[in-house]
Amino acid sequence: MKIKLEKLEIQTRKDKELLDITPEVERAVQGSGVKNGMVFILTMHTSSGILVTEGLPCLEMDILNNMENLAPDKGDYYHNRYLDGDGRVAFNAGAHLKSILGDYKAFFPIENGRMVRGSRQRIYFAEYDGPLCRTYCIQVMGE
Amino acid sequence: MIDFHTHPLLVREMYEKYPDLTRIARDVFHIGNNPQPLETFLLEMDVSGVEKAVLLPIDASTARGCAIYTNEQVAELCEMSDRFIGFASVDPHKKSAARDLERAVKDLKLAGLKLSGPTQEFLPNDKKLAYPIYKKAQELRLPVVFHAGMSWEPRARSDYGRPTLLEDVACDFPEMNIVIAHLGWPWVLEAIMLALKYPNVYLDTSCLYFDNPYDFIEFVMTKQAPLTVFEKSLREKVVFGSNYPRVEIKNMVGAIKKVGLSEGCLDLIFDKNARKLLGDAAQ
Repeated sequence: MKIKLEKLEIQTRKDKELLDITPEVERAVQGSGVKNGMVFILTMHTSSGILVTEGLPCLEMDILNNMENLAPDKGDYYHNRYLDGDGRVAFNAGAHLKSILGDYKAFFPIENGRMVRGSRQRIYFAEYDGPLCRTYCIQVMGE
Repeated sequence: MIDFHTHPLLVREMYEKYPDLTRIARDVFHIGNNPQPLETFLLEMDVSGVEKAVLLPIDASTARGCAIYTNEQVAELCEMSDRFIGFASVDPHKKSAARDLERAVKDLKLAGLKLSGPTQEFLPNDKKLAYPIYKKAQELRLPVVFHAGMSWEPRARSDYGRPTLLEDVACDFPEMNIVIAHLGWPWVLEAIMLALKYPNVYLDTSCLYFDNPYDFIEFVMTKQAPLTVFEKSLREKVVFGSNYPRVEIKNMVGAIKKVGLSEGCLDLIFDKNARKLLGDAAQ
C-alpha cells in the first residue's frame, strides 16, 4: 500500500474565484506510482473549498453568484465579533458557510494509474474570502 | 485611492528574514493570523481599488522592548514595491528620538511619522518627551499619525489615546499636520471637535471594534455623529484608512462607500485628502 501526501500552495487573486486544479491532481496521481486506489483532495481552510463541476466560465459565475445568495457575506451572523485569538473582528461567516455548502473535499478512484472521473468533471479550488495564499492537500493511496 | 493606515504585519518574507517579528505581531500587536506572501498584500490592495498604502510601524523599544517594525524594515518593504509609502516611528522615551526621526526621513526616505501613546506609553501632550519630536516633524513637514482611542493590544491603556490630549499638540504645532487614527473611537466627538477647530487636524477611518465593517461604520458615522458633519464640515479633513490586517481593506472600502457620502466627498476621503497630506510621497 502506497500513501503519498502533497501540500500545495495556491495564491488566489480575487475575493471569490474558482481555480481549476485538475492538472495538479492528475500530476500527483501519475507521480505517485499508484495503479489502483484513490485520490483525496482537501482544502486546509474553513473559508475555502474543493468543488467538482463542469469546467465552464458561465457555470463558475453561476456557482459563485448562487453561493452568495445562499450564504451572503453581509448576513446577520454571530461570527461578526472580535476574535481574541486572531486579534481581529471576524467578517467572513458567509465564507465559512459557503465552504460547508460546497464541501471542503473531493475524492476519485484511480484505475490503471489514472484518475477515474467523468469527461466533464473538473476539480476546483474555491476561494470565498480572498485574495489569500492557501494550502490544499492531495493524498494518493493504493497499490 | 490611498489607504492611510496599514500595518505590514503578516508579510511572510519579513517573518522569514526577521523571525522575531512573529512574536512581536502575536504578543505585542496581538494579531494571530498566519503570514502571507507580500503578493497577498498587493492583491488585497488590487481587489479593493487601492493604489498605494501607508505602512505604519510603532517603535515601542522602551515600553515593550521592541519595535513593531523598525524604520529600516519599513524602508526595506518600500524597496519591494513602489505602492508602499513608508512612515517612521521613534521612541519618545529615547533622547535620540528627534535625531532618529531626521535620519529616518533623510537616509531611509520615510514620509511621515506614526506615534501611539497606548503602545509607547507616553502622553501625546508631554512637552518633555514628545515636543522635541514634534518640533522636528514640523521642521521636516511630516504628517503625523497618532493612534487614538481603543487599542486591541493587551497592555495598551486607552487613556494614552484620548483625542483631547492632542489639542495642545495641534495648538502648539500649527504647521504640523496631525491625523487622528481610528476616528478616535469611542471618543469620536472629541476627535471631530479637534478636526473641526484646528486646520492641521485630520481623521482616518480605520475603525472597527464590533459587528462588521458595514454596520460599525454606519453606527459611528451616522449615529455617534451625523453623516452631515463628514459630508459638509469635514469633507477635506478625513482620509481613508483600513487598519489592515486587523480589517481587510476590501471590507473597509465597501463600508465607507456604502455609508451614504456623496461621490465628491468619497473622492476626497479615498484619494485627494491623502495626496494633499503626503505631497510628493504620493506621486
